[in-house]
Amino acid sequence: MHAMPKIMLGSIPIDLSAVLMLIISCTVVFVLVMLSVRNLSVENPSKLQNFMEWVVEFVQGVISSAMDLKKGKPYISLGLTLILFIFVSNLLGLPFSVVTEAHEPVTVFGHVIEATRNLSHGDHVELLWYKSPTADINVTAGLAIIVFVLMNYLGIKLNGKHYFKHYVEPFPIFLPLNIIENLAKPIALAIRLYANIFAGEVLITVILKLGILSIPFLAVWQGFSIFVGALQAFIFTILTMVYIAQMTIHEEDAH
Amino acid sequence: MEIVWTNIIFSIAAFLILYILLSKFAFSKLFAVMETRRELVMQQLDEAAKTREQAVAYVEEQKQALNNARQEAQSIIQQSQITSNQQVDRLLEQAKVEASRVKAEAVRDIENEKNKAVEELRSEIGTASVRIASKLLNKEVQASGEQEQLVDQYLKEVGGRS
Repeated sequence: MHAMPKIMLGSIPIDLSAVLMLIISCTVVFVLVMLSVRNLSVENPSKLQNFMEWVVEFVQGVISSAMDLKKGKPYISLGLTLILFIFVSNLLGLPFSVVTEAHEPVTVFGHVIEATRNLSHGDHVELLWYKSPTADINVTAGLAIIVFVLMNYLGIKLNGKHYFKHYVEPFPIFLPLNIIENLAKPIALAIRLYANIFAGEVLITVILKLGILSIPFLAVWQGFSIFVGALQAFIFTILTMVYIAQMTIHEEDAH
Repeated sequence: MEIVWTNIIFSIAAFLILYILLSKFAFSKLFAVMETRRELVMQQLDEAAKTREQAVAYVEEQKQALNNARQEAQSIIQQSQITSNQQVDRLLEQAKVEASRVKAEAVRDIENEKNKAVEELRSEIGTASVRIASKLLNKEVQASGEQEQLVDQYLKEVGGRS
């Protein structure tokens, strides 16, 4: 199994691979979007602008399927960032990965990578530097925490007492169940995304062990992984919108 | 799978920074352009609808005008037909009258000529018969007016009978 290139800054652990991949992923998304809005035109949009507008309309469709689009307007930017970031992140690890083999303690910026610290002679560790950032549970957990905090904040802010009342419905005895339900949402979000992308990359590594025979399998699996990456980005976005809608919109008929 | 809490912090921070940058520098502009396009399209659709309405009205007007022109032409043709028919009738009538007048004149002329010829013939025959009679009678008969009158009377009787 590949190890994480983690260093300790005092007592603070830093996973260099995750930092690197987050920076790459954010840069790719940012450059892509900035390129598409570089020469904005009302009447003669460029191809990239057309593509970005299609994404915007897609996200609008996603939001309007979860809530009234008038109420959902502030979340379009969020949905766009989510879907682009997750999609790009999912795809980054598909074409290749970068693994270094360490036979002795490796230092980066004067700090020893933890996994190589206690290498005895003859042993080796494979350090995974380049992968999909979403193949790391910490990153997906970060995204899920953002969604969790946001949806509860919006619920309290926009729904007021109905938000708290919701926890004791239909009966007060349901309180723990409702709390678990609420907590299960971000956990499910994080694990679903992580597991899909991680499994995809693991399978790519396994297929690669076939050598030259792996090419057709790899082609099929990579194609499928693109589909899975798009699908997971879509699922993450639509679930975020559905959760926000559930939390913020108080249905009069339900009471 | 290893939980590294700084990774969570980093990914939250990265996502938030990306979100803020994008919504500030990219999405707001993009949404504005899309909104402008939407308005433009709406406006153009409105205009197109209006233009079409106008065109329909115009076509209706033209149709009306064409109908009017057609009716007018029809009435003009009818009018001219009536007029020409009347004219033909009048001319025919005139010609008939003229023809009958000419015919009557000719008949009168013929009668006159005939009468004249008969008159002449009669006088001719009178003279000739007097001459014949005088020759037959071997007696000179004076060609007096009295005798001639007598013969004339006789011949008139003959002519009237014939």
